[in-house]
Amino acid sequence: MDIPPANITQTESSAAEERAASLADGIALGMELGPENRLLSEKLGEELWRAAGAELVDVSRAEFAEALDTIGARDNYGLDPEKHTNERQREMFWRALHLEELALARGCALGRESAWRRFLAQYREPLTRAAIDMTGSAALGEELVSAIYSELFGLTEREGRRWSPLLRYSGRGSLMGWLRAVLAQRRVDQYRKIGRETELGEIEPAAAVSEQIEPEKLGDLRVALRMTLSEASAEERFLLSAYYLDQHTLHEMSRVLRVHEATISRKLKRATERLRKQLLGTLKGRGLSRRAAEEALGTDPRDVDINLRKLLQKSAGDPIPDKERQG
Amino acid sequence: MNRNLQLGIHPDADKISVFVEGAATAREQEKMLAHLAECAECRKAVFLIQPHEEPQRVTATPERRWMRRWLVPVGLPAAALACGLIAVLVYIRPHGASKTPQQMASIRPPESARPGTTVAPATSAQADRVAPTGNSEQGTPKSEPERAVPAANSPQAARSNEPRDSFAPNAATAKASQTAGATPSVGGPVASVQTADSSLAQNAINGTAISELPLNGRNVTDLQPLQPADKGAAAQNTLAREKELPGLQIQDASSQAQTLAGISGRITDRSGAAIAGVIVTLSDAGGKMRQTTTGADGSFHLTQLPAGQYGLTATASGFKTSKESIELRPTELAMLQPVLDVGTASEVVEVGAASTETESANVSDQVVAKTHGTRGGSAAPSEQAILATVSHGKRVLSLDDAGNLFLSRNEGKKWKKVKPQWAGKAVGIRLMPPPSDEASVKAKDEAAVANEAAAFLLTTDGGTVWSSKDGAHWHQR
Repeated sequence: MDIPPANITQTESSAAEERAASLADGIALGMELGPENRLLSEKLGEELWRAAGAELVDVSRAEFAEALDTIGARDNYGLDPEKHTNERQREMFWRALHLEELALARGCALGRESAWRRFLAQYREPLTRAAIDMTGSAALGEELVSAIYSELFGLTEREGRRWSPLLRYSGRGSLMGWLRAVLAQRRVDQYRKIGRETELGEIEPAAAVSEQIEPEKLGDLRVALRMTLSEASAEERFLLSAYYLDQHTLHEMSRVLRVHEATISRKLKRATERLRKQLLGTLKGRGLSRRAAEEALGTDPRDVDINLRKLLQKSAGDPIPDKERQG
Repeated sequence: MNRNLQLGIHPDADKISVFVEGAATAREQEKMLAHLAECAECRKAVFLIQPHEEPQRVTATPERRWMRRWLVPVGLPAAALACGLIAVLVYIRPHGASKTPQQMASIRPPESARPGTTVAPATSAQADRVAPTGNSEQGTPKSEPERAVPAANSPQAARSNEPRDSFAPNAATAKASQTAGATPSVGGPVASVQTADSSLAQNAINGTAISELPLNGRNVTDLQPLQPADKGAAAQNTLAREKELPGLQIQDASSQAQTLAGISGRITDRSGAAIAGVIVTLSDAGGKMRQTTTGADGSFHLTQLPAGQYGLTATASGFKTSKESIELRPTELAMLQPVLDVGTASEVVEVGAASTETESANVSDQVVAKTHGTRGGSAAPSEQAILATVSHGKRVLSLDDAGNLFLSRNEGKKWKKVKPQWAGKAVGIRLMPPPSDEASVKAKDEAAVANEAAAFLLTTDGGTVWSSKDGAHWHQR
């Protein structure tokens, strides 16, 4: 077999970790799906199997139906977990999937040669480009792709069976998007392994916070910030973190959230203003005078951003437990 | 969930890709954002997934900025300047305009038009020529003092023509010549005259030998001197017809949609010097007035004028007020070159309506407008009355009363006097072989004419005939 590529190396993925993750999800793989969860009718299964061209990648009707059932059950057919689904909703969910890509991924995960041949013909080049794009280096990109291939091909085993992350592909997004996500996660792993200190050090020296804000005020601020952030929406928290901590541009953030830059700017400004106002209120509630509270935040509005960044950065150092957030 | 990342539970690649591609449900989105707000690694992964677009952004953003920065302060003025230049070029180089529309401009004198008023020449886009009026030079004996200024399609041309206004005469000129007793030869420096206003043209030409032929540089026409049996009657006929002349009008044979027109011109005194500060008032039939003042070069411009009949008054201290009537056609740009007489502003000279004496000073005011599609307007080759003009291809020969022969190699745009190589005075020129008659000339196929071996024939007062192939080198036959 000419696949996977010769330069594949064993990854450090731990089967135990993967198993734990699967259990955490509640539903693991299709093979573990009980008969009571087989909701796909034969007729629809046949139709979708044909539409997906699963035969071309050596995926049988049963295998494909199992995949569809597994995915539907895992994601509750695109509805909220507690909601009951009817047949029509399930059919709509299945029909909306990237069926061809799902069949290909499933064929690859099952080790079908025709599927791998097609996969390599279709994704080798884009995958390599994406890896080089992410790493900024051809050598690093090649290395990253090689690691991914070894994973995808299923060189790891789970409970004595060959296991490929491609089994986790749901078909709700594009296969290329999923591959990019895998690449990105592995790239972040590399970051973490290579040197996390360097990464954080590049953002902002934490010592600078105490240079501008007195230690006693810093404690107050940190608590106030936690309280304030807990009241912000998830999107606002994401925006604040991405902007002030990661220093992403509005354009980058707009691409992630698929909205216009101006919208991001407006939301961010609103979130920052609210955060500042609430911080002031919280600080005053903790006994500081208004003047002292403003001084703590930095009276110059231009300083608010930088102070927020430092505060957020400091705050991010120790994760906020759910309990505290809710409180 | 993915365990490869730092300790803790992270969304797997499928969840992340679904979120990034916008396929997540609202609940999934919320959960993902909540996680991303706190998880630097997953945030990093999410931003890493985005395709790298830096090169595009670098090119796109500065481009927009560049456009914003340069288009408004530089680009727009440049475009305006270019438009201005084009407008100026249209003014001064009407020959280059499209040949398609046939247009004609003429001046309508007030109803009390008096004899002697000259008419601006009809221009023919088809003929690619202008047969300007004008014949009487100060040096030539004339009974009528009118001086006709050849039509010019540009101010420059008009100016250059002014001092030597004897030019290819058309009907009006012919009339003046006849009245003066001179040989009423007719013919533009470029032969063909085809008026858009056929009645005007036919009436004005009045049996002259000017062939109604489209030249386009390939046609041949033989212009015979007009020999009316009764000069007085001819003059009367001409005068009578002049009363019927339409006002300054520019006809667009292509009957374009109604659009705005304009008037441009230059006001000079009798010596040709520009008069600055002349108040030019244009009033339409409804009494609405537009006013402008001539600049240092005596020029004035009035644009954005609806088509219609206008009265134009030029007033300057120390000069007689000049009034004339103009009819503007849509999209046309009329060019005037009024000449003001010394006097008081209270004295009004109505062009075409004043006394003969006065008219003599102002007849030249009317310079016909150019419009797109009109070509011609070349400088007069001679200060004398033109006796005959023949053309072959782009070569045009023009013979004046004094026997001087002029040659133009570019359809009458530039003229050069031909050194006499013949004995005696040249009295006639024609093409060889001469067409049997006018009709044959008209009927002659253009291509055949163009391909014909060209030879000009010149007749002297001694009766000798000289021939030339190029119009410059002559040999006795």
